[in-house]
Amino acid sequence: MSWAYFWSLFSISLHAMVPITLTAVGEVIGESAGLFNIGLEGILLLSAFTGTLGARAGGPILGLLMGLVTGLGIGLVFGVICAYWKGSQMIAGVGINLFALGFVAFGLQVLGSPGFYTVPRDVQLAPIRTSVGSFSPLIPVALLLPFLIHWFLNHTGVGLRIKAVGENPEAADVAGIPVELTQLLSTAVGAALAGLAGAYMSVSWLGSVTKEISAGRGFIALATVVFSGLRPLLALAGGLIFGFFESLATWIQSLPGVKEAVPWQFISMIPYVATLLVVAGVIGRVRFPKALGVPYRRE
Amino acid sequence: MTQGPGASRPRPFPHKRVAEFLLRAEGLTKVYPDGTVALSGVDLTVRPGEVLGLLGENGAGKTTLTKILSGLLPPTAGRILTPRGPVRFHSPKDALRIGIGMVHQHFALVDTFTALENVALGLGRVNFSLLRKKLERLVAETGLRVPLDVPVENLAVGERQRVEILKVLARDVKLLILDEPTSVLTPVETAELFKFLRNLREQGKAVVFITHKLKEALAVTDRIVVLRRGKVAGEVSTKETTAKELARLMIGVEVEPGRRPVELSLEAEFSRAAAPGPKGEPILMVKDLQVRSDTGELAVRGLSFELYPGEILGIAGVEGNGQTELVEAICGLRRVEAGEVELLGRKVTGRPPTELYRLGLAHIPEDRWKYGLILSFTVTENSILGLQRERDFQAAGFLRARAIRGHAARLVREFGIQTAGLSAPAKSLSGGNQQKLIAGRELSKDPKVIIAAQPTRGLDIGAAQFIRELLFRLREEGRAILLVSADLDEVLALSDRVAFMYEGTFTGIVRPAELTAEAVGLLMGGVKAGKG
Repeated sequence: MSWAYFWSLFSISLHAMVPITLTAVGEVIGESAGLFNIGLEGILLLSAFTGTLGARAGGPILGLLMGLVTGLGIGLVFGVICAYWKGSQMIAGVGINLFALGFVAFGLQVLGSPGFYTVPRDVQLAPIRTSVGSFSPLIPVALLLPFLIHWFLNHTGVGLRIKAVGENPEAADVAGIPVELTQLLSTAVGAALAGLAGAYMSVSWLGSVTKEISAGRGFIALATVVFSGLRPLLALAGGLIFGFFESLATWIQSLPGVKEAVPWQFISMIPYVATLLVVAGVIGRVRFPKALGVPYRRE
Repeated sequence: MTQGPGASRPRPFPHKRVAEFLLRAEGLTKVYPDGTVALSGVDLTVRPGEVLGLLGENGAGKTTLTKILSGLLPPTAGRILTPRGPVRFHSPKDALRIGIGMVHQHFALVDTFTALENVALGLGRVNFSLLRKKLERLVAETGLRVPLDVPVENLAVGERQRVEILKVLARDVKLLILDEPTSVLTPVETAELFKFLRNLREQGKAVVFITHKLKEALAVTDRIVVLRRGKVAGEVSTKETTAKELARLMIGVEVEPGRRPVELSLEAEFSRAAAPGPKGEPILMVKDLQVRSDTGELAVRGLSFELYPGEILGIAGVEGNGQTELVEAICGLRRVEAGEVELLGRKVTGRPPTELYRLGLAHIPEDRWKYGLILSFTVTENSILGLQRERDFQAAGFLRARAIRGHAARLVREFGIQTAGLSAPAKSLSGGNQQKLIAGRELSKDPKVIIAAQPTRGLDIGAAQFIRELLFRLREEGRAILLVSADLDEVLALSDRVAFMYEGTFTGIVRPAELTAEAVGLLMGGVKAGKG
């Protein structure tokens, strides 16, 4: 195995890690405040698409921003429904996913390319080139962000308040913390990170949008959050595990004779199955906020 | 005595002179969305440097009133005044801003946070080292000692309450509202709390002390406002009143001496008609029982006792000393680590609840919402919970609706359960009626042994009295009753023998008549009795 080949596998690992990690640490914030968003998959899909539109209109940075704003917007809607209107988090999340499916399929058609759209090279995010190879600038972001969020949740007053809202909203309310607002902002920030992850996929990593681009990553991110027990650093670990298996699958596919023997779809399953197994297997006595998923109502 | 609406009442009080009042409520009315009128036209004045007692039965509106005063609920009508004019609270934050803080009956603490973190919540920008200094100073001033760096879920209940009080004091409040603060405390902790409250009064702060215990209201307050059915039933100066007058205001009728609530028989009247004493073979035997709590620690540590037909064996002690685990183990709801349980001479250790019930065991559970009822089910459905497999109620996999309704109707009639109907959901019943429903259902099993855990907790005097008389009647019928209660007065008044539970073992099993107040304190605090 040549050095260049090894690097390319390593690079695949890191690139595949980014969307899982960003989405998962974002969701860690939201769930810490007690809101459970199963619409992450839809947010990834939608923002991958809107990110492309942004990039076309004003370059890659605008593309990423569009993704971020898309996520933020959906997060705000989700937050208003669930935190203020006490709607079912499950149904609101499913709604996001269904909306994204329909909207993106329709949007791609409007762009004139049903099912698939290639982002022009000149508006893709330029990779950072090093002597060993090139990688997306979002990789260091995804590697650093979990540490930042870990610090934020555990060592700042705001982080403390977010966790208090998720753990015991009544106590938080009594302490004068605006429960609904805290939930709204936490879930919106979390969704914004998922939005960034979506735009990253189309504008930086893959350079194209399909209506299946999210490919279950939102759900894998959710599983990772469960596995992490709402600890951002473990969410990063979950992302790295997924990335590792994705590159492993790529490697297996490239082995001589494998393609003929096993349909590629089965090999593509590897990272998903492996991540779920690891996540499910490692899970111990993880402790979740007591009020997770339960709308808060004053008596 | 009765308070006029909002009028200023010139009356001498030793500690004031600073301002006429700290807080005044006028015509407070609260109607809940479901139409329940919790408060109607309540006036209340709180003056600086006084401890104001707010007395009333459950459902009298005490909690609603304090929730309004602390900003947790908006009133439907009426207003709140401070010396600077009317105020309107949109959240507890607004109340705290003008110096009103509340300590809830159910602690508003985040279990996974430390005391320090809990206090830090809601203080805005927090500098932990500064806050620690401030707290250490507060602890020194008030004597509210608590470990600051242990998650509060690992603290004793009394300590948690102190955290709760510190949380409010750290925000420099002028008025502290305490909702039934003593319901979870040992006598010693209660005495310390009272000392602390008097201390606060000396500092010119005001305290609103909510309770339904006459003794406590008389012990610690300067003035008492009695609520009954959402209205002010009377206002008295503590020095000039008696327990009898308060009871009359609270319940609305003079309490007959013969039917005095246990509460009133506090004057160490443990000399109930001499108990017949253990006779015959023990019906329930527990031998060297060991049980673990949810956290895996040994909660019951090698405990043994016998229960005889026709007696009430009371288990007293501060909650959290293994009573819950003991009851669950006996009732087949929790794994037994070691030791044995014998029911009617048969080894039943680790047998499932259904089998125990067939043998003659009934269980009135401590948490009636969690284990006693399915709240969203109807009265009828709840009346056969656990009995649903009986032939009377089921045929070929179908429930026999008419028989079940008949059964429910009988319970409602015999136990005087007040309900809107047999199809009303259990959650629409008041606490007392829910408990009657559970008791009725359990007794329809015609049990030989009844395990009653905290059977009167949270009930108003009438319902509590009903349950207590029921326990007496069952005892007269020759059934055996194991009564677990955190209400010391209740255990002492009802039991033939009392076991004091401390950290998973009994510090002693004694006859109530042989007890002095001092002995009770020692036994509850873990000092072993001379004889068993």
